[in-house]
Amino acid sequence: MKKLLSLALVLSLALTMALPAFAAAPAKLKVWGAQDDQAILQEMVESFKAAHPDVAVEVEFGVVGEPDAKTKYLEDPAAAADVFAFAGDQLMDLVAAGALYEVTLNREAIEAANSPGSIEAATINGTLYAYPMTADNGYFLYYDKSVISEEQVKTLDGILEAANAAGQKVMMDVSNGWYIASFFLGAGGKLGLDAEGNQTCDFNNERGVAAGEAIKAFTANDAFMTGDVNTMLPGSMGDTIAAGVAGTWLAEGIQAKLGDNYAATKLPTFTMAGEQVQMASFAGYKLMGVNSLTEYPEEAMALAEWFTNEENQIKRFETRALGPANSNAAASEAVKANVALGALAEQSAFAVPEKDVRGNYWTPAEAFGTTMEAKDYSKDVKTLLDEMVAAITAK
Amino acid sequence: MTGLTAARRKAKARKGIFRELYETFRDGDAGTRLSFLVMGFGSLVKGQVIKGLLYLASQALLVWYLAGFAWQYLRKLGTLGDVGMQRVWSEERQIFVRTPGDNSLLILLFSVLSIMVVLGFLALWRANIRSAYRAQRLKQQGKRLPTFADDIKSMLDERFHLSMLTMPSLMVVAFTLLPTIFMILLAFTNFDQAHQPPGNMFTWVGLDNFRNLFGGHPLIANTFGKVFGWTMAWAVLATFTNYLLGMVVAIMINNKGIKLKAMWRTIFVVTIAVPQFVSLMLMSQILHDQGPLNALLKQFGFIEQSIPFLTDTATARLTILVVNLWVGIPYTMLITSGILMNIPKDLYESASIDGASPARMFFSITLPYMLFVTTPYLITAFVGNINNFNVIFLLTRGGPMVTEYYQAGKTDLLVTWLYRLTVDRQDYSLASTIGIFVFVISAGLSLLVFNLSGSSRREEEFQ
Repeated sequence: MKKLLSLALVLSLALTMALPAFAAAPAKLKVWGAQDDQAILQEMVESFKAAHPDVAVEVEFGVVGEPDAKTKYLEDPAAAADVFAFAGDQLMDLVAAGALYEVTLNREAIEAANSPGSIEAATINGTLYAYPMTADNGYFLYYDKSVISEEQVKTLDGILEAANAAGQKVMMDVSNGWYIASFFLGAGGKLGLDAEGNQTCDFNNERGVAAGEAIKAFTANDAFMTGDVNTMLPGSMGDTIAAGVAGTWLAEGIQAKLGDNYAATKLPTFTMAGEQVQMASFAGYKLMGVNSLTEYPEEAMALAEWFTNEENQIKRFETRALGPANSNAAASEAVKANVALGALAEQSAFAVPEKDVRGNYWTPAEAFGTTMEAKDYSKDVKTLLDEMVAAITAK
Repeated sequence: MTGLTAARRKAKARKGIFRELYETFRDGDAGTRLSFLVMGFGSLVKGQVIKGLLYLASQALLVWYLAGFAWQYLRKLGTLGDVGMQRVWSEERQIFVRTPGDNSLLILLFSVLSIMVVLGFLALWRANIRSAYRAQRLKQQGKRLPTFADDIKSMLDERFHLSMLTMPSLMVVAFTLLPTIFMILLAFTNFDQAHQPPGNMFTWVGLDNFRNLFGGHPLIANTFGKVFGWTMAWAVLATFTNYLLGMVVAIMINNKGIKLKAMWRTIFVVTIAVPQFVSLMLMSQILHDQGPLNALLKQFGFIEQSIPFLTDTATARLTILVVNLWVGIPYTMLITSGILMNIPKDLYESASIDGASPARMFFSITLPYMLFVTTPYLITAFVGNINNFNVIFLLTRGGPMVTEYYQAGKTDLLVTWLYRLTVDRQDYSLASTIGIFVFVISAGLSLLVFNLSGSSRREEEFQ
């Protein structure tokens, strides 16, 4: 009897372990969004259902933030969401993996409604692959009006001078491929893709090396400071930090800290081989895409379009202060009055789309920035950049 | 009875499977012979109906499985797929309608699964032949054949181990063996970010990944060599510093002159109560360039520039070792203090009568005794340190990054590099190759050291 019992136990244990594998998936759409977006996504789905009574959808939500979407998607494309939000820099990798459904329904209307930059960031070789959702994933300069004047803030040299005079710091996370690129891109450097889709990079040409020297000078300056902008800027601006490079996600915290001295503007120019060069930036958009493996392409596209229409982009701006990619929404008074979004719009004239950047770029770029921050001058800038480009373009 | 069957089974095993099958076929009657083709036939004609039908059903099940499911994958195992995802413009629906192409990942996974199923089936096939032959022999000898009820009884009695272990073994095969074989096979493919299913296919590339790792691709090979070097240095240093210092702490607490022994021990053990990853993440914050420690040191005027605890190669490596000491010492202290108390006191007494110094006693009595007992522990700790993902990843994330490495930093271990290659770059084939190498190193070293150690060779001397 005892033996029978133990046998039954082992069997039932084994069965419970195996059971979930056989549970059938119900026919419905799965949506991925950031943790903070869950509530408004829910509301948007409700309004979608109200507006489209003829389309029967059952929506299930998953928490996958935009930065992790590509990684999570590629872990198991078949189990990934039908509609998901992702950061613009992942577009190329996702398209290369065949992950995204081409946007063909209402394409013209979508292209007309959103800003040209956001459409470009979602288009590869003339095919639109995603729906622009926000236009706020870039960076610009926050500064303390009481320390840096409007004249000084135009050049990096002026900013450093003002900060040094006040005994304060200028913060930029140079050991981060996203931020450090602003020097190279400003100098005219190009990140591109060859015919096979491999990364190309010319940051080690003559102008690239000059930009590298400018980074070296900047990081060697007494006022230069690096670190985690997300904790340092809202915590120390106004006390020890006079200016910092970051994006709109910090606007609320920094505004609260600086109060009346809160200001934001485009990135400054930097001195490169004697001339003033405007710092560029990555134009960051967040996009919404439809899984190429979805069983219900029309419904998924309709839902993605709904998530990113004018009304819902305004909703995103109102509830979460996310800058709209939709032209009408961006032109509204409320958006224009937002200092951070205004600075981002100013910077957007010098922004470069991020879609031609593949996963290979980030670590080597971080490595160059780390070496500069550590003031490790055992190799000259040219050698370091050659190594960096070799690692970026490897394979 | 049992002794006899065991002896017979052993004799049979010695004969070899193919010889046994041949002899069975030679000596078998028509029923037994037909069991080679139609499973359960031998049992059926001899009246063991249920058993025969079960065998027959399993054969039918296999045919159904192969034809209905496995064959579509197995036939593409050679190329891992030849038809990519198809898209056709549908004027009516105004979208590209897709027909999924071959998914190399699924082909590989289900092929491995199917091969295992077939192997399992072959074992069943052999059991079917044996059973038919046994029934034939029993009939020839004029004995009663076991009924189905007898078989079930035997499953709960002398063959109970089979009933108990079948399900767990199947689980081990499905959840451990299958994924492992699958991952190992990835090392022989070109599954990287340019060959991502579902849009693209990957295929077999033989030993290319191994060649790249060992010199074929100078950048990768160079990074691999450097990272491997640091991994080994780290494993040796982390293991022995923890071991020696933990022992020293234990000896100090054990010392006769120390009061409040229990309190001291508890204080050290309290660090274990905090989950390791929490301590490590806190440490990483504290030691940050603008972290509290640097801020404090600056405020007190000890330093002007931040100490790059985690961002300079040499300092970062040292920091990691020290932090690892901090999280590791309590464990070694606990393990060693138990063993220390076990060392016979008379050894120390006679040594001190002979006039030995404390240092001499440590090196001549304590250390040899400890090493003898704890070599297996040291091996486990060493292998654990080779793969010590937590400490490295949570403290430095492998940084500081350097331009001369391929997607790696100066404190990256092979396992954290592997993590970055898979998660950031989807370079699964290269990562799998590194994984195999790490396994070979850990398993090889463990076996070698363990077999050479006193713990295994002079077991009988242990007192």
